[in-house]
Amino acid sequence: MMDLRIPSGSFFVLLGLILAGMGILTPGERAALTDANVNLYCGFAMLAFGSFLLALAWRAAHKQP
Amino acid sequence: MKLAAIDYFILALYFAFVLGIGWMLRKKISTSGDFLTSGHSVPVWITSLAFLAANLGAQELVGMSGNGAKYGIITAHFYWVGAVPAMIFVGLFMMPFYYGSRARSVPEYLKLRFDEKTRGLNALSFAGMTIFSSGISMYALGLLMKLVLGWSFTTSVLCSAAIVLAYTFLGGLTSAIYNEVLQFFLIVFGFSPLAIMAVAKAGGWAGMSARLSTMTLPTGQNGDVMVHSWKYVAHTADNPMGIEVFGLVAGLGFVMSFGYWCTDFLVIQRAMAANSMSASRRTPVIAALPKMMMPFIVIVPGIAALALSQMDVGYSLPMKNGGPDYDQVLTTLMGKFYPAGMLGVGLTGLMASFMSGMAGNVTAFNTVFTYDIYQTYIRPGRPDHHYLTVGRMTTIVGVALSICTAYLAQSYNSINDLLQLVFSFVNAPLFGTFLLGMFWKRATGHGAFFGLLSGTCAAALTHGFTVAEGKGGWLGQVHHFPSSMAQNFWIAIMAWTVCFTTTIVVSLATQPRPEKELVGLVYSLTPLKHDEGVSWYKRPVPLAIAIGTLALILNFWFA
Repeated sequence: MMDLRIPSGSFFVLLGLILAGMGILTPGERAALTDANVNLYCGFAMLAFGSFLLALAWRAAHKQP
Repeated sequence: MKLAAIDYFILALYFAFVLGIGWMLRKKISTSGDFLTSGHSVPVWITSLAFLAANLGAQELVGMSGNGAKYGIITAHFYWVGAVPAMIFVGLFMMPFYYGSRARSVPEYLKLRFDEKTRGLNALSFAGMTIFSSGISMYALGLLMKLVLGWSFTTSVLCSAAIVLAYTFLGGLTSAIYNEVLQFFLIVFGFSPLAIMAVAKAGGWAGMSARLSTMTLPTGQNGDVMVHSWKYVAHTADNPMGIEVFGLVAGLGFVMSFGYWCTDFLVIQRAMAANSMSASRRTPVIAALPKMMMPFIVIVPGIAALALSQMDVGYSLPMKNGGPDYDQVLTTLMGKFYPAGMLGVGLTGLMASFMSGMAGNVTAFNTVFTYDIYQTYIRPGRPDHHYLTVGRMTTIVGVALSICTAYLAQSYNSINDLLQLVFSFVNAPLFGTFLLGMFWKRATGHGAFFGLLSGTCAAALTHGFTVAEGKGGWLGQVHHFPSSMAQNFWIAIMAWTVCFTTTIVVSLATQPRPEKELVGLVYSLTPLKHDEGVSWYKRPVPLAIAIGTLALILNFWFA
């Protein structure tokens, strides 16, 4: 059975890179009701989560050769 | 709402992953069991999240945040009094029989425990209900896509139907389950930033409470009722939901929630796909943990929206026909708090939840139709590959029927109330049947059948003779409920009571089945295996105690 952590981890790493990239490249982008750089923070959170899933999948794949 | 190119790109990226997962799983499907039941092979963390996410459809995200703004934290009773105890109960006490009997569906369990006609009745009503729910999800998604992408309702419905069809047709139940997990992650990441920002902007929980207690709700109560779940439920006039504590605990907490979580094959199917008995029992128990946190993501932003609308910050509740349009609360909040980029993630999460709501219903419909209707009544005894083909074809038929019901759903305005009404007609009596079936060996097939039938009639009659918010009362107006929520609770209570007593009376008047035929199906005749020697968090009972305690704490905290 395919390890679901690989596609979902990759999805969030990609999404995280896109959002964090936007947060860095267009730091002036703000929504009406907040002063926070929402894309940057959310992007980093998703990047961390995606990497975590991929790390778990990698560890599982290397435990049973 | 204005979307940027990046938002469309994120939406497209998600759809690519969804279809990719379906494509990668297509080779794993060689039998009807692989397609319809995932061959009992899915790890427990996946079944748990899918158990939760299959239910996380249209009514949950849009409906619950709307209810947050309309009724306040009282809405959390759907989680802390309703869902969580029922999920723990189904895991500890009912999964041993669903999983252990090797039934492939909930109706099939009824066949093993009772008889053919009880299964037939349940299979038919369930099949109808799944198509109905799937159509409602599709309708809501169509409205959203129309609003966001500017497509026509028909284009939106057909497009979303095509995507759901593609991945369930390719990978069957496993594909639906995997995508439900991806969807769950997306919802958490797409909505929790919104909840955090909206609450922070409204001055935190304390600031919101202070702000709301100075206002008067449209229903006449003081706004303080919005931030207390138990303080104002003594009388129907005290809270905007129009409920009182007995209707709440007996109607919602006992009958409706247990009726849904313990007997609805849509969710039970996820737990049945687990790879061991212990995993199938832990599935609903583990799922209860994120479930009890959901109010913070879906209800609290709605309450914050109401508080924000009282402040001078540039947010007001969306309006329609002179009153607040609660179904739009979530999307308007997103528009105010998310810049391009995160807005795409939030909308993708919303669409994902609608689509997995549809996919979950379609896969459950597939299994019930193929095994409980087709294989039982239409063409029994064919080789397995025949049923695999039928399963795949049923996917297409199920999606097509959902499209029809999506157009039907257009005539109703509040999605959540409508769903609850349908569930109370069908599910509420069902829990009475299962309770007696699993825990009383004397219960008979005739008892179960006539109990179910009379329970459903009782539900319809109660709705027919009572009125709430202009709904019901098609047979006469005997009683008037302060809200349709209260009406739903009482329909459920009536249905369950009638089903329960009828089943007992008819069972006592009919011939019981020999005890040896009921081993593995009834509690008192089945030795339960205890998982000795594994760590506590891998055993259902200690897990259930820990999670139940947490739910209790939440109830007190927000009382």
